[in-house]
This record gives sequence, C-alpha cells and structure tokens, in this order.
Amino acid sequence: MIELRNVTKYYQTKHERKYILNNVTFTIPSGVNVGILGRNGAGKSTLLRMLGGIDFPNSGIISSPNSFSWPMGLAGGFQGSMTGRQNVQFVSRIYGKSEYEIKKVIESVKEFSELGDYFDMPIKTYSSGMKSRLSFGLSLSFDFDYLIIDETLSVGDKNFQQKSKTALRKKIEKCHVLLVSHSMPVLKEMCDVGIVVHNGQLYYCDRIEDAIERYNQINT
Amino acid sequence: MVRRSSFSIFKSVVTALFLREVQTRFGTKKLGYFWAIFDAMLMVLVFAGLKMAIAEKAMPGVDFPVFLASGFLAFFLWKNIVNRSLSAFSSNVSLFAYKQVKPFDTILARVLLEILVSTMATLVFIAIGFYFEFEIAVQDFNMVILAVLWLILFGFGFGLMSAVFAHFYETFGKIIHIMMTPLLFVSALMYTVDSLPTVLRELILYNPLVHFMEMIHGYYFVALDTKYVDYEYMLYWTLIPLYIGLYFYTKGEQRILST
Repeated sequence: MIELRNVTKYYQTKHERKYILNNVTFTIPSGVNVGILGRNGAGKSTLLRMLGGIDFPNSGIISSPNSFSWPMGLAGGFQGSMTGRQNVQFVSRIYGKSEYEIKKVIESVKEFSELGDYFDMPIKTYSSGMKSRLSFGLSLSFDFDYLIIDETLSVGDKNFQQKSKTALRKKIEKCHVLLVSHSMPVLKEMCDVGIVVHNGQLYYCDRIEDAIERYNQINT
Repeated sequence: MVRRSSFSIFKSVVTALFLREVQTRFGTKKLGYFWAIFDAMLMVLVFAGLKMAIAEKAMPGVDFPVFLASGFLAFFLWKNIVNRSLSAFSSNVSLFAYKQVKPFDTILARVLLEILVSTMATLVFIAIGFYFEFEIAVQDFNMVILAVLWLILFGFGFGLMSAVFAHFYETFGKIIHIMMTPLLFVSALMYTVDSLPTVLRELILYNPLVHFMEMIHGYYFVALDTKYVDYEYMLYWTLIPLYIGLYFYTKGEQRILST
C-alpha cells in the first residue's frame, strides 16, 4: 500500500511553476501491479523517484510500509567509471549482503545480463540496452515489495525482451511492480490497475484497460 | 526484505562507497599509488633544493627535508580532504539513485580514503627517510598524531561546509580551489612562524592552518616549540565550520539528492 497525502511537487521554470502533482491525496491499494501512463514530461519518472524515496515532494507526505527497488531506468543508478562487476558489488554491499552472497549475485547477474567481457568494462562504454540489462538483472537478485521499472522493458533485442518478461513474470509472483511504459501490450500483460498522470493530477483506474483508454483520450 | 537499523545501513553504505573510491583511485588509474606520494615529494624536493641553492643557514637542530615532508604531508592531507569533499556530491550523483546512499556518506568515504592515502604516503616517506638516514626521530609522537587527527577533523568540517555551499553556489567551490595555491605559501610549511618579522607573524597567525603546522612541527622536532599555537583559535575553526556544515547539510539534503 502506498499513501499520498496532500502531495505537491513542482519544478520551477523561468516564468512559472510547473506542477507534476498538485495537492494530490491518493492511495494505491496493496496487492496490485500498477501501470503508470502519461505523456512525456507529465511527471511519471518523478512520481516513480518519489515513490522510490530518492526525490521528495515540495509539500505533503508519501508513506508506505513496503520496500521499493531503485527506479530501474535508462539513465542513472550506475557510476560510469566503475565496471559492471564493481557496480554489482557496490549495490550488493549497500544492501548489506555478505561477501559470499555478493559472489552469488555477481554470478547470476553476469549470466542473466549476457554482457560477456563487457561485465568487466566501465559502464560508460555500455550501450543503453546493455545498461538496462545489467540494471534489470541486478534487481532480480534482491527481494522488494515493489519493483520500480521505468521503461526498461522496451529496450534490448527481442530475445532479451522475451527473457526479461519471463523473469519479471516469475518475480512478480512474490512482489509487485510499478511500471512506466509506453508499450500498451506490456502494460496489459503485467499490470492490474493503472494510473494516468496528467496536468498535475493522478487518475486511478481499477482496470489497466480503462487507464489505457483514458490515456488515449488525453492524447487525442 | 529484512529491515536493518539506520546505523547498519549507514555502515554498509560508507563501506561500499569507500571500496568504490579505492577501486577508482587504485584500480582503473594504475598510477594511483604514484600520485599518492607525488605532490608531497615534489614539494619537498623543490624547496629542499631551493634552500640548498640559496645556501641559507639551516634551522639548527632540524633536518630541513624532514621539516618540509612533515608539513607538506599534513597540508596535502587537509587540502585533499577539502578538495575531494567539494566534488563528492557531483561525482556520486548517479549513486543517489539508491535511497540508502546519502550525500553525507560520500564525503565521509572520501575523507577515509584520503586518510588511507596519506598514511601510505607517510609510510613511503618514512622508509625513504630511514634509507637515506635523515633525522626522522619524533619528539612527542602522541601529540603529533593528535595534531594530525585534529587537522583531519578541521578538514572534514571545512570540507563538508564548502561542499554544501558549493552545491548551491558554484562560485564558492571555485574560490576554495583557487585559495589552495596561495595557502601553500602562507601556511608555515617552508619556514617557522618564529623566523618571520613581527608584522608578517601577526598576519599569518590568522591562518588556522599555520597553527596546525606549528603544532605538528613543534611536537615533531626537539629544536622547535609550539609557543605560537593558539588552541582556542584552532577549536573555533574546527567546530564552527563543522556546525555550519551539518546545519546546512540537514536543511539541504533533500535538495542535494533531487538534483
């Protein structure tokens, strides 16, 4: 369960405040997989970052008894000068894994991400597809109540997309997912309910299909 | 997921950041070991050479290269702590994607790394000192260590304050960077305060680093003393920046994270 109480988040541009959320009070019930839709710049990623605890509303409170993964997105989360292996070590360490567990995480991430020799190359040499493979593989090694996924499922080649979808489906038997995607089939497949972010408000729909419909209305 | 106490999270984050800093410093840049001693070594060679060339009369009872080495090692420790703290937030910004990682931890990890690097450099210097039979005996070991630890705390507080200010006002960081070079010459590194004319002496004693250097030198060499060291003044310079730094850090942490 995630509770938002009077949450306001805005970005200050030169002339005005651009509201991402404008005094939103809202509860996301527990036990559902949530798809998040909205136009570019509507604030989907910011919403995910706030849910993940690395960005903060200008006012209001977001609270949840659950644990969240880091937002798995195309950008961020990795230090460019570190190798894939070092990044995996780093993340395992901050989650308090023992050296033995870290070795196991490294093995499984290396195998899942199919990076080969690139696993020991600095992240800055990676393509965006490789980065998200690493990020996704890494997240599978930890147990969260919610996985926060920002568009990463749509990158990578077909083979990897299929593989990650299968892995994700297995993973969400035990946890839930907050998923931003522009791919309607992916949303339909993975999510139960939907949230549309538009003009500083959140619109909740009990069925993901309704959310997609609403999103399509906004776009027309 | 098992809940962990804040302290155990803090500990594992600082450890992870520290190991990451070690990897970047000594792993990918293979010359890390070399750079650790290079700057201090260069300064000692240059100023010891100058002194010989000018053939100025030496400080009686003091082995001049050892005098230089002790001062420069301490100075570079302080300078590196401050400089590396200044860039700590921006070079770790992508790791703030993990909510366990707080900007404060990145500074702490860097301070720890600088202590490690400086310790290594000091050991190399001591080995060289032994080999070439310099007078490296210490008068009061404990007080020298105390002075260095105090200097580290001063660097940490000042670095934290500067890092927070520099995050919001970029110019501040630039000013600190520019300040470092002149500081090298006005921090009693190549001379003692006692050897200065009275006017200069009064002026230079406003520089807190002078007191730290005089304390280190005074307790290191039997022939020197600490009569110009104002402990109260050093305490102000340690506690006030630390307090200001922590105060503005706690106020600004969320803004630092969300940029």
